[in-house]
Amino acid sequence: MKGIPTVLITVSPEVSAQMRPPRALYPKGFKIGNSLGRPGMRDLQKKVLGDALNLLNENTRPGKIVTIEYPEYGEQYEPPRVKQVGS
Amino acid sequence: MTISRKCVPFTPFDRELSKSTIAIVTAGGVHLKDQEPFNVADELGDLGYREIPPDVDSSDLMVTHHHYDHRDADEDINVVFPIDVLRDLQAEGFIGGIAKKHIGYMGYTMQLKAMYEGTAREIANEIDKGSRADVVVLTGG
Repeated sequence: MKGIPTVLITVSPEVSAQMRPPRALYPKGFKIGNSLGRPGMRDLQKKVLGDALNLLNENTRPGKIVTIEYPEYGEQYEPPRVKQVGS
Repeated sequence: MTISRKCVPFTPFDRELSKSTIAIVTAGGVHLKDQEPFNVADELGDLGYREIPPDVDSSDLMVTHHHYDHRDADEDINVVFPIDVLRDLQAEGFIGGIAKKHIGYMGYTMQLKAMYEGTAREIANEIDKGSRADVVVLTGG
């Protein structure tokens, strides 16, 4: 098994962090169903995908999720939280 | 082989993006309109996946997934399955190419072990066999 490098784009960073993805991007404030941005926003979608792919060449720590802000996305959303046991 | 939950299975990337071929694997329930939809009636979730060809017309894709609001993806599939965005990045020379296979599955399951040990490995093998992908981009809903 040789393995293939992966990069995850997630809009649920807390949930995704539990699986400790090798490389991951959280476009801050994007809602579920909008991993790359809103419909038709091709420039933004390109920027998000390009940023995700660029993580492959950066010295990221495995399991860490990198957050990037994209003001052009517009209205921001709170990501789903992971329920803490005992809290 | 068992995958330790403590260790991150990190595969280094030692190529140039401009010479690399990219595959998309999405948990967003994406499939071709003429493929069998995912079974949303099964409360345990559907463990299957669908292979999406590289030359797909994005208007021939659809979403079957009942655990997120996919109206935006119905309007523009690229918000969860960025195949046209990859084409743009290829045209600009940012990436080298588009893999020969892409995968959609429904990322909702009550059968986590079967998803983790079964479906996930099947998808990895599918990508490994003949997709020629150097990199996989993973997206959720």
